[in-house]
Amino acid sequence: MKNIVLDVQDLSVHYRINKKVIRAVEDVSFKVEEGDFVGIVGESGSGKSTLAHTIIRLLPTNAMVVSGRIELLGYDVLSLGEEDMRKIRWKEFSMVFQKSLNALSPVHKVGNQLADAMKAHNPNLTEEEIIDRLKQLLRMVNLPERVLKAYPHQLSGGMMQRIMIALALLNHPKFIIFDEATTALDVVTQGQIIEEIKSLVKSLSLTGLVISHDLGVVSELCDEIVVMYAGRLVEHGTTEQILQQPLHPYTQGLVRSLPDFAQEKKKLSGIPGNLPDLSQPVHQCVFAPRCPIATEECFKTVPSTEEIDGRRVACLKVGARI
Amino acid sequence: MRFRTDFAKRYLSSRYGLAGLIMFLTMLIMALFAPVIAPYKPTDISHDMLSPPSKVHPFGTDHLGRDVFSRVVHGARVSLTVGFVAAGLSALIGIVIGALSGYIGGVFDEVISKIIDSFLMFPVFFLILIIVAVFGRNLVYIMLVIGLTTWPSNARIMRAQTMSIKEKAFVKIARANGESPTRIIFTHIIPNGMYPVVANSAMQIGGAILTEAALSFLGLGDPSVVSWGKMINDARSYMSFAWWSIVFPGIFTVITVVTFSFIGDGLQQALYPKLSEVRNE
Amino acid sequence: MDVLFAKYLFRRILSAVLLIVLVITINFFIIHLAPGDPATIMTGLENPSPQIIEALKRKYNLDKPLLVQYFKYMTNLLKGDLGFSYVYDQPSWKLIGPRVFPTLSITVTASVLAFTLGTYLAVLASRLRKKFGDLIFSLISYVLYAMPSFWLGLILILVFASKLRWFPTSGMFDMRASYEGFRKVLDYLHHLFLPVFTLLLIQLPVFYRVTRASIVQNLREDYVTVLSAVGLPNDKLFKKYVMKNSIIPAVTIFGITLGFSITGAALIEIVFAWPGMGRLLLDAVFRRDYQLLLSIYFLMAVFISVAMIVTDIVIAVLDPRVRLL
Ligand SMILES: Nc1ncnc2c1ncn2[C@@H]1O[C@H](COP(=O)(O)OP(=O)(O)OP(=O)(O)O)[C@@H](O)[C@H]1O
Ligand SMILES: [Mg+2]
Repeated sequence: MKNIVLDVQDLSVHYRINKKVIRAVEDVSFKVEEGDFVGIVGESGSGKSTLAHTIIRLLPTNAMVVSGRIELLGYDVLSLGEEDMRKIRWKEFSMVFQKSLNALSPVHKVGNQLADAMKAHNPNLTEEEIIDRLKQLLRMVNLPERVLKAYPHQLSGGMMQRIMIALALLNHPKFIIFDEATTALDVVTQGQIIEEIKSLVKSLSLTGLVISHDLGVVSELCDEIVVMYAGRLVEHGTTEQILQQPLHPYTQGLVRSLPDFAQEKKKLSGIPGNLPDLSQPVHQCVFAPRCPIATEECFKTVPSTEEIDGRRVACLKVGARI
Repeated sequence: MRFRTDFAKRYLSSRYGLAGLIMFLTMLIMALFAPVIAPYKPTDISHDMLSPPSKVHPFGTDHLGRDVFSRVVHGARVSLTVGFVAAGLSALIGIVIGALSGYIGGVFDEVISKIIDSFLMFPVFFLILIIVAVFGRNLVYIMLVIGLTTWPSNARIMRAQTMSIKEKAFVKIARANGESPTRIIFTHIIPNGMYPVVANSAMQIGGAILTEAALSFLGLGDPSVVSWGKMINDARSYMSFAWWSIVFPGIFTVITVVTFSFIGDGLQQALYPKLSEVRNE
Repeated sequence: MDVLFAKYLFRRILSAVLLIVLVITINFFIIHLAPGDPATIMTGLENPSPQIIEALKRKYNLDKPLLVQYFKYMTNLLKGDLGFSYVYDQPSWKLIGPRVFPTLSITVTASVLAFTLGTYLAVLASRLRKKFGDLIFSLISYVLYAMPSFWLGLILILVFASKLRWFPTSGMFDMRASYEGFRKVLDYLHHLFLPVFTLLLIQLPVFYRVTRASIVQNLREDYVTVLSAVGLPNDKLFKKYVMKNSIIPAVTIFGITLGFSITGAALIEIVFAWPGMGRLLLDAVFRRDYQLLLSIYFLMAVFISVAMIVTDIVIAVLDPRVRLL
C-alpha cells in the first residue's frame, strides 16, 4: 500500500461575484498516491483551476471554500495559517500556472526573478550558489543559460513555459501541479514539453496533478484520470479504464473526440451544448441537458458517486453504452 | 436599446457619475434661470461697495458695489456655454478626423497620427493665447480656438475605436454590400465608436472652462460678458480686504470643473465596467 | 538589442524634429494670417521706421513667394538666430537668457517634488488599503485637479502672505533689504516657497492618480500572483517588482512636465510677479512683440523635444518592452 500524498474530501468552492454565487467546485473527492500522477480533465470552466488553486491555497479573495478537507503531504491545507502556508508552499509543493505569458515581471530580467524566488526559501545561499543552481535547473528543462539575461518578452511561448516548469522545480518539491502546461503551445513544442515533463517526473520521482481540457495530454502523463463536469467529479479511474471503457456519457464523449478514435469513425464528434449556468443550484444530474441517454429520472435526482470495480462514476445509467 | 438602459444603469450606479449628474443639473438650472435666481442685475452698480456677505448681498459686493452672488450666477452661463461649445467642436473635429484616419489607413493615417502626437505633446494654452491676442478678444473666437486646438485627444481615441470596429463583421458585410466608405463611416463606425470620445469630452468641458477662466484672468477674455475669470482678475487688487470677491467665483469654477470630471469618470466606468471594478475594490 | 534601441531612438528623435517643424510652421502661419502687413506685425511697433521694415524684408525674404519665405524663416531659426525684438530694441536671446533660471527654479523644483510626493502618496494609499483614506485622497485630487492655478496662488497669497504674513506676496528678492551671500539665498527661498507650493499642489494629483491607478492595475497582474506564490516576501515583491512596474507612467508624465517647464508657470509667475520666462511671454503677447513671442515659442518646442527624447531613453531603460515599439 503506497502513501497517500494528496487527499481531497467533499470539497466545494464557490465564487461570489456581483451578488451571484458561482459553484465552481462541488463535492469533489479523490486521492493521489505517492509517485502517481492524476489527470484532471474537463472542458473550459469546469472548475479545474479552481480545484488546483484551492489545493495550494491561492484562491482569489472572492472565493470561499464552503466545505471539505484537503490533506497534502500530511498538512491540513485548509486550516493552515497564512504564514505557515507561505513557508511550505513552493518548498514542499508547487504549481505550473495556466497563464505563463505574463507570469513574470516584464521589466526585470528572468534570471533576477528566478534568483529572488530561490532566495525566498534559501536565504543562506550565496550569489554563486544560486547562479549554479539556476544553471542546473535550466539544463533540466532544456534551456540555454542566456535566458537568465533575457527579459520575459524576449522569450518564446515554449521557452516561457519551460521557465515556469523550472520555477516550479526550484526547491525540489515533492508534489507538483501542471495546469494546462502545454495548452497555449504549437503541436510540436507541446509534444516536446510533454516528453520533458515525463522524464523529469520520473527522474525526480514526483507526485502530482496534470490539468488539461485535452484528454490526450492527460493520458500521456497520468496513471489515473478524474473527469470533471460543471464543478463535479463525474468519473475517476485508471487511464486505461477511462480510455478503453469510459462509463459516464460525458467521458464517452470526450474519448470519442480524441483524434485517433475519431479517425476510426472518420469524424470528430464533439459534445453538443454548453456548460450549465453555475450560479443556479441544480437538483438533477448536471449533465442531463446535454446527455444523449438521459431519461426523466436524470432530471429529477442528483446522481451520487458510486464505486464499481475500483473506479468511480456519478451516473444513474452506469455502464450504458451509446 | 438594451445597451442604452444598461449603460444608464451602470452610469447611475457609479458614485461619482451620480454626484456629477446632480451637480450638473443644479448648475444648469442656475445658468438657465440666472435672471430669476440672481437678486440683482450683474452689472448694476451701487454705493454699497466692498461690503462683506450679508442678508442683502449673500456673497458681498465688489469695488463697484455690484452683487457678487448675482455675478457668479450669471457667470455660470458663460462657463457652461464655453465648455459645451468648445468641447463639442473639439469632439466633432476629433471624431471626423479620427474616423477618417483610422478607416483610410496608410500614409494618410501615419501623417495624421504624427500630427496628433505632436499636438498632444504641445502646451496648447500658449497657442490659444497668441491666437486670441492676434485675432481679438471675443467669446466666439475663444470657443472656436479652444475647440480647434484640443481635438487631437478625441481624434486619437476615435482612431483607435475605428481600427477595432472596422474589423467587425457588420462593417465587413456593409463593405461587401457595396456601401460607400462615407456611408460606412457615418452610419456604422461613428455611431458605434463615439462613446469613449463622449467620456473624454466631459473632461474637456472642464478643461475649456479653465482655459476661458485663465484667459479672462489675463485680461484676454471677452470684455462684454460677466465671467468668473474676469471677476477674479478684477478682485486681485483689493482681495486682501474683500476676500469674498475672489473666493466665490473661484469656488464656483472648481465645483463646475469637478462636476465634469465626475461625469467623465462616471461615463468611463459605465463604458468599461471592468475598470470600475478595480476602482470600487 | 542595441540595434533595436538605436532604431527606437532614431524614431523618437524623428518625431521630436517633427514637433519642432510643426511649431515653426504654426508660427509662420500665425504671422501671415494675422490681419495686416507681415513686416509691420513682426516689428510689433505701431509705426516702425522704413529702415526696420526694409531690414526685416531682407532678412525674411518678405517680398518673395510664401514658400521661399517659409524656407528662409526656418533656416534663420535653425542657424540659431532667435530674432530681434524691436519693442525692446534688443536681440531675443538677451531678453530670454536672464529669465531662464528663475523660471526653471520654480518649475523644476515643483515637478521634482510633485513626482516624489505624488508617487509616495500613491504607494501609501495602496499600502494602507483603507477605503476611507483612498476616498479622501481621491476627492482631494479631484478638487486640486479642477483648481485654476492662478486662483489657488491668489488664495495662498491671501492666507499666508496677506493675513498670516509668513511669506512675501511677490517677487524673487526683497527689494528693500538687498541682502548678500547666504542671507540672499534664504531670502530667495522664502520668496520661492509660495509659487513652488502652488505649482506643487496643481501637479500633485496628476502624479498621484496615475501612479495609484498603475499600482492597482499591477497588483492584479499574474506576475504578482506567481511571485507571491513562490514565497517572495510581500515587502520585497512590492518594493522591487510592483514599484518599478507602476512608476513608469509617472516617469512619462514627469518628462512631459519638465518639457513644459520653460514656460509652464506663466500664470503663476503673473500672480507672484516672478521675473521669469512666462512673464516675458505674456508681456510679449500684450505688447504684440511677435518676434520675441515666436522665439520663446520656438525655444519651448526645442525644450519639449529634448525632454521628450530624454524621457524616452529613461523609459526604455526602465521598460525593455518599449524598444520594440
Ligand atoms: N475569480 C473568479 N471570480 C468569479 N468566478 C470565477 C473566478 N475564477 C473562476 N471563476 C468561475 O469559476 C468557474 C470555474 O473556473 P476555472 O478557472 O476553475 O475553470 P477551468 O476548468 O480551469 O477552465 P479553463 O479550462 O478555462 O482554465 C468558471 O465558471 C469561472 O467563470
Ligand atoms: Mg483553468
